[in-house]
Amino acid sequence: MQFTKLGLLAGLAFGALIAATPAYAQVTLKVWSIDGVDRPGIADTYSKEFDDANEDIVVEYRAVPFDEIVNETLRAFATGNAPDIVSFDNPDFALFSSRGAMLDITDRVAASDIISKAEYFAGPLNSVTWDGKLFGLPKYTDTIGIFYNKDLFAKAGLTEPPKTWDEVAEYAAKLTDPASNVYGITFSARAGEEGTFQFLPVIQMSGGGADMVNTEGAAKVLDIWKSLIDNGYASRDVLSLGQWDSTGVFNSGNAAMAISGPWEIDRMVEDAQFDWGVALLPTIEADDERSSALGGFNWGIMANTQHPDEAFRLLEYFVDQEDRIFPEFGNLPARGDIELPVTGIEKKDAALKVFQEQLQFAQPRGPHPEWQKISKAIYDAEQQALTGQMSAMDALNQAQATIDTIFGK
Amino acid sequence: MSRFLNWLRDGVGFDILLVGAALLFLVALAGAPLIYNVLMSFQQVDMFTLGVLFRPFVGFDNYVAVVRQPEFWLVTRNTLIFVFGSMTGQFVLGFALALFFAQNFPGASTIRGLFLVSWVMPGLVVGAIWSWILAGDFGVLNVILKSLGIIQSNIFWKSDPNFSIWAVIIANIWLGLAFNMLLLSVGLAAIPKDLYEAAELDGANAFQRFWTITLPMMRPTIGAVLSLGLIGTLQQFDLFPALTEGGPANTSNVAGFWSWQLSFQLYDFAKGATVSVMMFLLVLFASVVYVRSTRHEVRG
Repeated sequence: MQFTKLGLLAGLAFGALIAATPAYAQVTLKVWSIDGVDRPGIADTYSKEFDDANEDIVVEYRAVPFDEIVNETLRAFATGNAPDIVSFDNPDFALFSSRGAMLDITDRVAASDIISKAEYFAGPLNSVTWDGKLFGLPKYTDTIGIFYNKDLFAKAGLTEPPKTWDEVAEYAAKLTDPASNVYGITFSARAGEEGTFQFLPVIQMSGGGADMVNTEGAAKVLDIWKSLIDNGYASRDVLSLGQWDSTGVFNSGNAAMAISGPWEIDRMVEDAQFDWGVALLPTIEADDERSSALGGFNWGIMANTQHPDEAFRLLEYFVDQEDRIFPEFGNLPARGDIELPVTGIEKKDAALKVFQEQLQFAQPRGPHPEWQKISKAIYDAEQQALTGQMSAMDALNQAQATIDTIFGK
Repeated sequence: MSRFLNWLRDGVGFDILLVGAALLFLVALAGAPLIYNVLMSFQQVDMFTLGVLFRPFVGFDNYVAVVRQPEFWLVTRNTLIFVFGSMTGQFVLGFALALFFAQNFPGASTIRGLFLVSWVMPGLVVGAIWSWILAGDFGVLNVILKSLGIIQSNIFWKSDPNFSIWAVIIANIWLGLAFNMLLLSVGLAAIPKDLYEAAELDGANAFQRFWTITLPMMRPTIGAVLSLGLIGTLQQFDLFPALTEGGPANTSNVAGFWSWQLSFQLYDFAKGATVSVMMFLLVLFASVVYVRSTRHEVRG
């Protein structure tokens, strides 16, 4: 009895399904991204909207966890089951575009009425460019600056945030107060991408880059950072703290300065019981060239898609909705032409303005298909120098030797 | 048909069937991944040929490349320290706890059961908890050690190159303690009580009873505990990303974590496979030594 009822129900459902399917051919687009695992994100929300609005295109969205998306996509691409559109963390993008796994969209973008290459910040655009061709588009971006506790600054007789790394050391000495458990500064020099994320800008502002890390300026700043730790102006635990935990120390009032990014702002507004501000990342000498890290994700159409035209239409829709990504999802657009709406929270609006300015100086990690190996060489060297196992210059020279083999020099 | 079934049940056929099934399971579950792994360590594995079986063979190139990595000897040294430190700690403390709870005081078995909580907790959770305990500035361990007068200033367990491997060892000892205690308790319970009574009548003190009865009777159990401990320690992974990520500067990196790092962080699948083959040989060697050392007892 139960069985027949169930069978009848299934039959009805199946019939309804067939009746609901339109008679004309539909194109199915598969979209993969890390969004929508724990809360609604850009990719899942926009995919659904596009799916609802377009009769001829079905968008199948799949949320893949952050740690798995590169491996999952590699495997899918190798076996011919790759998605049509995928979103990667920006340093992972070159791995795919350099190997012909992403569709060259240079001409399509040039012909598009919706997408304008000129509006993007240079850093994010570089991270989707390989060999002069465009293989994707930035999805959103972020970068780092220096947060400072204005109350502690006033107590120490300081009015302005530090502009150079020498000033950082000088101020940190004045701000450190062991009796009240206050460190001058906190940052992340963890053994991982976060360590590189915070140190690479220093290499870049010293005239180096992913292919040249052993610069005088980088060694000088590493020595300054080491002295911060050795003098007790920064906790030795910066070597094992991620950026989120490190900034937590700042929010609780146990560090007067912190190097971190805009993803911290909302929590800081809630947690920090003091007046704070954010400034551009310090430079090596005053009036030096600026640089900062570039975070954020990119979109790309995979090369073996069966429906490049439809996929590009979907990409255009994503780009067309970019003025919504800050108010709705809290991510910073990678374009200079989008005005961030005022939130009404004074500290937050001021901070966002600084990060928008900093974004103009943000440089991508790489782009290089073997970025992760370069990154390990960089954070290993950083840690060897900061723990005193090697002099800063020796450590950077050793990293350079590893990097030279990667670049085939 | 029934004659065939009878033959199968009574004769050699049934034995062959059983051995065959067991072998099939072994090859499918353990052998295939192992062979694939060994194969990969002799091939040039490209990120985009990961799903393909036929890749160019490169002989021992991957092995040479792994040994030439700047961190190779550091990782080897750390692996030995990690295995030796973890196993010693887990075994000695586990044995002490097992002996303690073998004294049948009220609530002994309940409290012993509570110890198993540490064993059922996922390594990542244990890592997160110990990450707090071992924090340099406000970690509980430093507070305790300072109040006892053992240390004067904070030890930065996770960030100091002299201590980072010990941070993971301490957490791993805690994690494996209950399992060791449990197995050893079972071994202790199996020793006939009258042996102790007879020894006591003969005037043997507690130490003599332990040395002449407990230890010899426990030898098979101890062997099993130690070999399982070796495998478990070499397999340990979760604690590393939670505590140190192998840092600072690889001072807490061990073979198991490095193999994962090479494969899934640096996408160098061939070198990752090579490191795991090297680890497999190490475990194989230890297992052979163990089996040889216990052979006469098994035949006993």
